[in-house]
Amino acid sequence: MKTFKYSASQKLFKRAASVIPCGIYGHYSPAPLVPASSYPFYTVSAKGSRFRDIDGNEFIDYMCAYGPMVTGYGNRKVDDAARKQASQGNCVTGVPPVMVELAEYMTDLVDSADWAFFAKNGGDVTNYAVMISRAATGRNKIIMVSGGYHGVSSWMQGDGHYGVSDDDKKNVLVVKWNDIAGFEKTVRENSGSVACFISSPYHHPVFADNEFPAPGYWQKIEEICRREGILIITDDIRAGFRLDMRGSDRYFGYKSDLTCFCKAMANGYPISALTGTEELKSTAAKVFYTGSYWFSAEPMAAALANLKEMSKIKAPGIMLKTGKKLLDGLVSIASSYGYDLKVSGAPSMPYLRITNDPSLMLHQDWCGECTRRGAYFTSHHNWFLSTAHTEKDIKQTWNIADDAFKAVKRKYGDRF
Amino acid sequence: MDSDLVKANLNLYAVLKNLEDLCEYDKEMKDLISSWNISIQFIVRNGPSAFLHFSRGKCEVARGSMKNPSIVLFFISPSHLNRMFDGKANPIPFKGFTKLGFLSKEFPRLTDRLSYYLRPTDELIKNNDYFKMNTRLTLNTAAFSIPEIAAFDSTGIKISSKIPDGTVVMRILPGFHSASITFSGGAASAQKGDTENPMAVMEMKNLEVAGDFLNGRSDPFTAIASGDVSIMGLIPMLDNMSILLDRVQHYLS
Repeated sequence: MKTFKYSASQKLFKRAASVIPCGIYGHYSPAPLVPASSYPFYTVSAKGSRFRDIDGNEFIDYMCAYGPMVTGYGNRKVDDAARKQASQGNCVTGVPPVMVELAEYMTDLVDSADWAFFAKNGGDVTNYAVMISRAATGRNKIIMVSGGYHGVSSWMQGDGHYGVSDDDKKNVLVVKWNDIAGFEKTVRENSGSVACFISSPYHHPVFADNEFPAPGYWQKIEEICRREGILIITDDIRAGFRLDMRGSDRYFGYKSDLTCFCKAMANGYPISALTGTEELKSTAAKVFYTGSYWFSAEPMAAALANLKEMSKIKAPGIMLKTGKKLLDGLVSIASSYGYDLKVSGAPSMPYLRITNDPSLMLHQDWCGECTRRGAYFTSHHNWFLSTAHTEKDIKQTWNIADDAFKAVKRKYGDRF
Repeated sequence: MDSDLVKANLNLYAVLKNLEDLCEYDKEMKDLISSWNISIQFIVRNGPSAFLHFSRGKCEVARGSMKNPSIVLFFISPSHLNRMFDGKANPIPFKGFTKLGFLSKEFPRLTDRLSYYLRPTDELIKNNDYFKMNTRLTLNTAAFSIPEIAAFDSTGIKISSKIPDGTVVMRILPGFHSASITFSGGAASAQKGDTENPMAVMEMKNLEVAGDFLNGRSDPFTAIASGDVSIMGLIPMLDNMSILLDRVQHYLS
């Protein structure tokens, strides 16, 4: 099978590195793409489930722009709605009526939502949610799960990370996922001072197996939080609308006070949302929070069209089913080469790991080999499925995976 | 956190450790110590201790105390030791008064040579032999600094507690030099050379890349993306180790 080369990507990266800090920053940084030489850096076009890089290579995309693409690149219904709104005005003086329509739609759609607030990125709304929780409770401390990710604000980043001071972290308490006793202990030791528990609905860290809540976990957490007056913030930025259109708290059987949405909202148009309960609406109104582009109409129109389409086609069910089919096949192919490909998390956003090598080097090589053959797999992060992935994509991916397993078998022999 | 204590540990366990490779790879220094049969014990009140042992043309630097050293040098505090490393203080000899001549004449030739290699200038690094030695010693200093930062620096303690158990290897290709850092239960230990089955690897593709990378003359992200530096395995180990390494500059300039 032909493998790709990335000379144009590398050439452009060199130009980028001279004028952009680290060339490509943030979650698009090539650093965790191992080996970086197996990956394209620059994309020139995309359609459906596929994108084409600057070297002309075409990939079946299993990262979906790290989540925002959910109903296919260039989805006609979403893009038409966005274009129509843009032709009437996008970022203009005054609030676009579509904002009200979108808020009404989301409060009908999301079980725990009595109101909706819109911003641009996930981190905008996780921050806002924490501020609301502090304002509502008069408390300062936040509990989060070790390995959880809620954006790039300094309170969220790791100890010792660049630009983060000890003061930034002093009100952040960290517990382990699925550890109810640890959570209770933390709450007890900080009685009366914890404003919120912020967590993804299930645990999806990078470089580690993803974990669903243990039976009864969320219900017990909810019980403790209600008893102690701690607000539950669900960071549904990654999982939102990929498990359940009504919100992932509904999927796991608990009720969130504040829920953060972003990635799957608008199929790539820049918008995020915080939804909340009626009890928190007046507090939300009091917390001053805004941004220059937060009233842009085009992404709101796109979000409305995208969410309606997702509801109509029951998108989470499609992605879960497509994901399961893809993953079952990959696991079976891996097994035929003597490799144990472990899948964790939801099939619509799975994390994979070849367990034969705990250092992940074998897995990294396999993901790199798949990518060089046209199935864009990362080894450090959960993947994302979309409703645009087809039967043809899956079959082609299986063929690619098979050839990539042959390549790593040649490299490692019977070492694993 | 006592910054003098951290610096003293770095000086004694990471900087001084370089005497071993200096005596092996610098011909002049190799010749200088070829006939030495002497040992020096460093004792720091409320601080680290280490000893140097020169014998049969080799230099060994190790933590702790040795039996019957030829010379004992005492420092009243970590700060005292650091000032000596900065050339601003002298140690207090406790034992080996007959070796004062060695301490004042021969031994400083070795330590001066070490300082020379660890303080590169734009001009000096144009010399290939200098560049090689500087790069080798910089890798050693980095590797042997990590256990001290992990154990004594307040941020380092927090970070190292999150690093999974296993060994990280840093290699300068092709086969020039390598060092391994093993993490276990939040503590770290370093050794020169490679290891089997590392959990994470950082490979610098040649000496030039390594020199620039280790001395902060290149951007790590760019070096990785361009393939000059390859990383593989448990990348969070390398991410966290990189933060530990960046803490070193707070103590050693």
